[in-house]
Amino acid sequence: MKNNVTEMVFVIDDDESMREALKSLIRSVGLGVETFASAHEFLQSSRPHVPACLILDVRMPGLSGLDLQRDLAEANFHIPIIFITGHGDIPMSVRAMKAGAVEFLTKPFRDQDLLDAIQQALDRDRSARAQQADNAELRTRYHSLTPRETEVFALVVKGLLNKQIALQLGTSEITVKLHRRQVMEKMHAGSLADLVRMAERLATKGT
Amino acid sequence: MVWRYGLAVITVAAALIITGWLKYYTDITPLFYAAIVISAWFGGMGPGLLAVVLAEVSIDYYFVEPLYTLRLGPKHISFLVVFGVLAVLTSWMSSKRRRAEEGLRQARDELEMRVQERTKELRQANENLRERQAELTHVTRVMTLGELTASIAHEVNQPLAAIVTNGNACLRWLAGATPNLSEARQAVERIIKDSYRASEVISRVRSLVKKTPPRNDWVDLNEVIVEVLALAQSEARRNHVSLNRELKQDLPRVRGDRVQLQQVVLNLIMNGMEAIARSKNGSRELSVGSDLDTANNVIIAVRDSGEGLDSADPARVFDAFYTTKPEGMGMGLAISRTIIESHGGRLWAGANSPQGAVFQFTLSTGDEEQRDGNGVRH
Repeated sequence: MKNNVTEMVFVIDDDESMREALKSLIRSVGLGVETFASAHEFLQSSRPHVPACLILDVRMPGLSGLDLQRDLAEANFHIPIIFITGHGDIPMSVRAMKAGAVEFLTKPFRDQDLLDAIQQALDRDRSARAQQADNAELRTRYHSLTPRETEVFALVVKGLLNKQIALQLGTSEITVKLHRRQVMEKMHAGSLADLVRMAERLATKGT
Repeated sequence: MVWRYGLAVITVAAALIITGWLKYYTDITPLFYAAIVISAWFGGMGPGLLAVVLAEVSIDYYFVEPLYTLRLGPKHISFLVVFGVLAVLTSWMSSKRRRAEEGLRQARDELEMRVQERTKELRQANENLRERQAELTHVTRVMTLGELTASIAHEVNQPLAAIVTNGNACLRWLAGATPNLSEARQAVERIIKDSYRASEVISRVRSLVKKTPPRNDWVDLNEVIVEVLALAQSEARRNHVSLNRELKQDLPRVRGDRVQLQQVVLNLIMNGMEAIARSKNGSRELSVGSDLDTANNVIIAVRDSGEGLDSADPARVFDAFYTTKPEGMGMGLAISRTIIESHGGRLWAGANSPQGAVFQFTLSTGDEEQRDGNGVRH
């Protein structure tokens, strides 16, 4: 099922009736869906390669929904989560939302509320994935730089002039200029400002 | 009054007639003695004395020379005097004895009446006690269910949520240019299934809340356990306790009140979950098992991995009003023990390994021939 759909919704609920109902509802709007009886079962499954989101029952035996949310975050597994619960209390929903949940729905919920939340979650995952792809692209470009170009890149974005860079690296200003043009080209940067932004992104994503 | 003296006359007359017939084979006096004793015994002192006088006169008249006169030969005077004294003495003792015996009988009758009265009072008191106990049992049962309210609500809400979702899905399958009837049908089938599920929860709760006189039916304790676990499932989830069951196949049935036995199992499970909730460390597991012991009694064990019992006095948990929880009344285990004992069984607590407590009870399995015999002693 995962192969021929463009978007996936994962459902984790220990109640079989609820799983079946959610599966049917989500399929009825043409989305791919896969259900799990426990958080453990979900963690055993393979990661999706398409935009996806998770519908998660808060109260489950074993690992609870909130525990799973925390564990996924710690494992750096980012997937937008929609919580559903039989008895929503405020502290619990606050905790879930603070930890980045898309929505917190109390059973029984309006189907449109859930479907809207699913759309929102998928959008979020899609843009996160695009962002991730961009970053990956950027890293590939960065890694294509020669060691000398990498050094020049680092000094350029620090705001040093060509002359200062040449002095620091012990080469001529002409060579620096050449390297610099090479860096701008390889990094697909239109301006110095562009390059600085790229450097920031590379730094935050921990290259 | 008259018959007593009449008796004296009749007995002496009978003695006279018989002695007259047998005068060649017997002494004169023994039958007259007997007449005197009988008269004194049944008539008292007066008739006894009358019998003495009549006997003396009769003996003198019929058997002492000269016959058929009341005159006495000198050698017979001493005989008649001795006979008379002996007869009076006998009559006196006999009537005395008789009176003593009567007094004794009266005292005994009175005692018996008092005992009967007291027994009746006791029976009444017992009856009242039993009624109170039934009420208390019912109240604690309702209270236990009260503690479960949130979980029971969740248990009903769960199928309702599934019904709503299935209903929505069904509408969506039916909408659109080409309705998907097969999917819609499946959704409706699930709706029906979930509706039954919700109503089962409600009927289970209702049967526990209802106040019914104690019954004496054949009860399958495995069924009891399964039903109670279904009720407690949600509460267990809330407390992150995993519920396990280890049921013996083909468990013989026991005689008793199904609702009360459900109450005991529910109490023990709730108790175990609370013990787990109070303990901070280790596993959070509760298991309910059924088995047969060597004497072929059914034995039910509820094991928890909670904080365990007070090692100094583990039986204390069964005391009424003994509780370790702030909101508890401390009646659950006391009532449970009362219920099991009224079913002729035994309920006790012990340590579970590696940690926690185990509560067990045994009930004798009714053999088929005992079908109408040993039942619940209500």
